[in-house]
Amino acid sequence: MKSPLQTIAPDVIMHPLKQPKPESAELSPEMKLVREALFKHVGKPIPRKEDGRLITGKGRFSDDFSLPGQTYAAIVRSPYPHARILGIDKSEALASEGVLLVLTGEDILADDIKPIPHNPVPSTNFDMKLRAKDGSHAFTGPHYLLPSDKARHVGEAVAIVVAETAAQAADGAEKVVIDWEELPYVTDTAKAAAPGAPTIWDEVPDNVFIDTTFGDKEGTDAAFARADHVVKAEFHIQRVTGVTMEPRSSLGSYDPETGRYTLYAGSGGAVRQKNELSKVLGIEPKDLRVLSFDVGGNFGTRNRVYVEFGLVLWASAKIGRPVKYTATRSESFLTDYQGRDLVTKVELAIRKDGKFLAMRADNLSNVGGRAVSLSPLSKGSGLITGSYDIPYATLRARAVFSNTMCTQAYRSSGRPEVTYAIERLVELAADQLGFDKLELRRMNLIPPSAMPYTNAVGSVYDSGEYEKNMDRALELSGWATFDARKAEAATRGKLLGRGFANYVESSIGTPKERAEIEIKDDGNIEVVIGTQPSGQGHETSFAQVVADMIQVPVEKVWIVLGDTDIVSVGGGSHSGRSMRHAGTVMAMASAGLLAEGRKRAAELLGSTADRIDFEGGVFKLRNSNRTIDIFELGRRTRESHGPLRVVKDNEMHTPVFPNGAAVCEVEIDRDTGHVQIVRYTTIDDVGRCINPLIVHGQTHGGIAQGVGQAMWELCAIDQNSGQPLAGSFMDYGLPRSDTMPSFKCEIAEVISPTNPLGIKAGGEGGTTPALATVVNAVVDALSEFGVKDIQMPVTPANVWRAMNSGRKAS
Amino acid sequence: MYATTYHKPKTLSEAVSLYENSEEPSYLSGGHTLIPTLKSRLAAPQHLIDVRAIPELSGIEVTADKVIIGSATKHAVVAASREIKAAIPALSGLAGSIGDVQVRHMGTIGGSTANNDPAADYPAAVLALDAVVHTDRRAIPAGDYFQGLYTTALEPGEILARVEFKIPEIAGYAKFRNPASRYSMAAAFVARHRDGHIRVAITGAGNEGVFRWTEAEERLTENLSAEALEGLTIDPSLMMGDMHAPADYRAHLVAVMTRRAVQNLGGTHIL
Repeated sequence: MKSPLQTIAPDVIMHPLKQPKPESAELSPEMKLVREALFKHVGKPIPRKEDGRLITGKGRFSDDFSLPGQTYAAIVRSPYPHARILGIDKSEALASEGVLLVLTGEDILADDIKPIPHNPVPSTNFDMKLRAKDGSHAFTGPHYLLPSDKARHVGEAVAIVVAETAAQAADGAEKVVIDWEELPYVTDTAKAAAPGAPTIWDEVPDNVFIDTTFGDKEGTDAAFARADHVVKAEFHIQRVTGVTMEPRSSLGSYDPETGRYTLYAGSGGAVRQKNELSKVLGIEPKDLRVLSFDVGGNFGTRNRVYVEFGLVLWASAKIGRPVKYTATRSESFLTDYQGRDLVTKVELAIRKDGKFLAMRADNLSNVGGRAVSLSPLSKGSGLITGSYDIPYATLRARAVFSNTMCTQAYRSSGRPEVTYAIERLVELAADQLGFDKLELRRMNLIPPSAMPYTNAVGSVYDSGEYEKNMDRALELSGWATFDARKAEAATRGKLLGRGFANYVESSIGTPKERAEIEIKDDGNIEVVIGTQPSGQGHETSFAQVVADMIQVPVEKVWIVLGDTDIVSVGGGSHSGRSMRHAGTVMAMASAGLLAEGRKRAAELLGSTADRIDFEGGVFKLRNSNRTIDIFELGRRTRESHGPLRVVKDNEMHTPVFPNGAAVCEVEIDRDTGHVQIVRYTTIDDVGRCINPLIVHGQTHGGIAQGVGQAMWELCAIDQNSGQPLAGSFMDYGLPRSDTMPSFKCEIAEVISPTNPLGIKAGGEGGTTPALATVVNAVVDALSEFGVKDIQMPVTPANVWRAMNSGRKAS
Repeated sequence: MYATTYHKPKTLSEAVSLYENSEEPSYLSGGHTLIPTLKSRLAAPQHLIDVRAIPELSGIEVTADKVIIGSATKHAVVAASREIKAAIPALSGLAGSIGDVQVRHMGTIGGSTANNDPAADYPAAVLALDAVVHTDRRAIPAGDYFQGLYTTALEPGEILARVEFKIPEIAGYAKFRNPASRYSMAAAFVARHRDGHIRVAITGAGNEGVFRWTEAEERLTENLSAEALEGLTIDPSLMMGDMHAPADYRAHLVAVMTRRAVQNLGGTHIL
């Protein structure tokens, strides 16, 4: 029997996929049209429309914008991990040349500037419900633009200095004198949750502000009691940061005549920025316009509001001039929202024949100085059992404050962490119990016949052919001919190793999206949408959907985004939601537009809408030679009926579960511990693929980001001072073109039943299994040294240490 | 960056005069150490004197027994020189292994040698190839030139003009790069000179910067082969240690890279 979802605050989830009904019942007439539409452009590898603009320097990134009379801000940051602010003396800074304004946490309180309403606890019906230990809503730590009590991490903004030039602002910032009282600090995840750790917030003396247990405890305990084997492990999926190519930047201005604020700031979605920043400033959302055009990398780091965005708006109103702030690379390393940092203890109960019976997990997420987002903990919680049929599971999910920068959803939020735990655990189980590691996986995989499948913590996987993915990945990777390659590598003093991992992830995301489509007189189609690309190619893939529906060339479709005066509703781009949400609502809006077009064409051609056909962008009166082109129709009926334009809202709550498998082959230099990835193969079931060229590109980037974490990346902190050690590219290692092999990637399209286009999500699947796949390969290569596990990143020094000790390196 | 005044003199004497008559001056070449330092506000010279436009600081000359490289010569130029590649392929390969393409088109041999960064490549070649460092006022043998981390025999205002390398009978360079910065984490330059003597210079690893590993030299004098180095180790207490490589790992890498330099005489081995 499947265990029911049991939480402290239970919500009964009536999952749509669990109540099957005839397909047609869900489809509006418009959606029928979508289903019937010829997929002419969809599925084709059309080159990206935006590339020409971007590679010729015509992108519009945040720092490219300047306004007349603009001033510049510099931020004074805490040099300590934990310190009370006893007083701030602005006088010397204010006397510094060119300085116009200095603001501190005291001014925030005096002006009644509100904390950023992050709402860190995910709240859709399909998110795991995270609560405080006593079941109450958790205290998450108010996030004021500047604190007035104390700094809770190195780099926390404590004052803003505005001056005529950027250099004068930097000079002024050095002259702000702060009287600090250093406090005991804790940065390590496990230590922050240990008894006696320094308290970050008085409201939560033990720092653990989320403590929720999910799953069927009784059933799990019983299964463990009757199990033949129990295998245990503990992993730390270490802290990393996004390292976006474009540092975050913001330009705020205030118009006293209209009382309106304007913010130029690249983000993951301008509408969220508008809504939350207007609350910070205590103004109506309509009085804040946010513009976000080209964005140079996001990966989750830009989804939430940064304090500097609010600070430039507030400061611009105070001095009556625009204020710009652009982070240096050092500031980005210190204070971009960071990712991962999960300590997980896992146990697997296994029957003699290898069948998985139950699982226990204890996950501890380090959120930093305050909670900005619990998405990683929540997303991961729903997927602890991975791609396997494990009937019972219990999960304790905790989140802890520490004296570090805040963490946020980062490239496939929460899923690489739990995928790492289950895929490493299965590998350890196979090794300890003498099973073949592939066969052990295979016998426990969820079969297609079990779909939709409810896992032991209540997530409903929509569709997927997991074993087929596994077989195809193994075949593509040349798994069967590995031994010959290993023997050859040995002749060169190299240790060859291979790693495999399955994965399943979830894509939920903000449920609402709106599309506006208008036929313009100049022969173009304009589409307004509320997602925010940062390199994903929306201008192309979105245009493909609309071009298909309206049956016009893709070049005629233009996507408009990023200006909240035009884009009124929009969930932004995160959680792999964009193509699924935007694609669906655009298809629906296109269908609505054609319905309106038929009506108008009928009037013009003196008939009724049911006698009008539409083909190749032309309306035609059936059984006649009377036709009208859609653009001509728009022009001819503009005066009488207004622009040929449709606005469509759509809400979709049901999550989808992209899935797949990855194989990695590494070559390790026996003398030095140097690791080179020589082969990397993936299969990704993304549901319907709109543009395989773009999906492959996204997958490649996703792989590099996951491999980067496994191999090099680490936000290291000196335990003796609390100081971050990786403050520049000198110490933060990233993947490079010459450290990556040429990837072999294939897309599997198992159409999702949850949305009309059948889309799941792409890109993040590159990241999700990568950590486990690489580490499995490295451990395999080192097997002759008795190595069973190794801490990420698998730097040469860590590998060398592991080879020498034959046990877990640190 | 703090405000500073930029100068670009056309002659050596003009550069020296500017230096002597300025408050808090600093010479600037490719800027790969100095500019990031300035941008981080960790240094505040009031005058930057760019030496790259001084003609006598540029150029390459290869004679029967010497390779002479002007101090403002960029790494990319050294790496692309056919004459240097024919005379000392290991030196050519070393230059081509520094940083990335952009770095090699800005960074200069003079900047690398004058700064004596413990992770820089050139100091290993200067020391192993028994070079002479020529300045605007004197000639300094390599053995006297390097004086510890970021410290050289250069006096305030003295300009490094050119480096004169002895062409060895054969030489090899092996480097293990820091996975983040790509600077050397341990690198060995091994040369057998025409008079038969061996020099082994180690960069990236020692806590005093570049140094000669005399024990390795002695063994290789007997027998110039990797086998001759079997069992030879170096004391970890002489090594730097950091988050990328603790001292014991660096000591291990020094031994491995020295063996690999010997195995790759006549070229380079870059990991």
